[in-house]
Amino acid sequence: MNAMEMSNEGYLLLLHVNESWRELGREELEKYISQNNAWLEHLMTSGKAKGGQALARSGAIVSGKNGRNVTDGPFAESKEVVGGYLMLNVETFEEAVAIAKSCPMLAFGGKAEVRPLTNVCASHIRLEEMRREPQLAVA
Amino acid sequence: MTNKNAYMLIFRGNEWHKGLSPEQMQHISDQWMAWFKRLMAEGKAIAGNPLEPSGKIVSGKNGHVTDGPFAESKEAVGGYFLLTVAGLDEAVAIAQQCPGLPYGAKIEVRPVAGECPMATEARAENEAALATA
Repeated sequence: MNAMEMSNEGYLLLLHVNESWRELGREELEKYISQNNAWLEHLMTSGKAKGGQALARSGAIVSGKNGRNVTDGPFAESKEVVGGYLMLNVETFEEAVAIAKSCPMLAFGGKAEVRPLTNVCASHIRLEEMRREPQLAVA
Repeated sequence: MTNKNAYMLIFRGNEWHKGLSPEQMQHISDQWMAWFKRLMAEGKAIAGNPLEPSGKIVSGKNGHVTDGPFAESKEAVGGYFLLTVAGLDEAVAIAQQCPGLPYGAKIEVRPVAGECPMATEARAENEAALATA
């Protein structure tokens, strides 16, 4: 059984966007925004998405021991940022990918990352693997 | 809750815990869960989940599907918290409590926008155009 089949927590759609929409003319931009809104509304009213929000192009990055390194966003140095997210309420990973494929942002350089939600963090999964490894070695 | 006070913590990197002993990983994992439960109990976190390490990336006009994120990456998203707090300073202060930080975890703190930032800008441009007309 792979990780995707194990998941029953739903799926997170991370919408990575770049700045190419800035090159659109007013009419094109209005069309693009209304396409996006229609897509979101359809997902919400059909119950396929149970939440989601846009993220402002600002913020901070925290790293280092005790979080002593705090750098400002927006993230001028990166071409791509997470512009928003959607929580998908669908039965299968395939359906989540199909929704990602219908995202209007794809036509303008956007990317949709589909990730199964879990209750078990990655380090815990790795820990379980490490515990199994010695047994596999002797088996 | 208003959007003004909503922040998303995005946990970046899926390779920082490599090389740690099982005991260290168990310890961090326990600390992380305790941290999240405390934030939930305080009403400062309203949601949060780790993500399965694997997934798919869909891109391009025709929705080209690739495996992703790549196995080990400093930028791969490993999980998120949704916070409702007084402001960015408090969200950053919470991020600074992350038990993974001493081992190289990186946290992106992002304000949740009330609407799509594109729509905000498009409207601002319209208003500017009307003002000069």
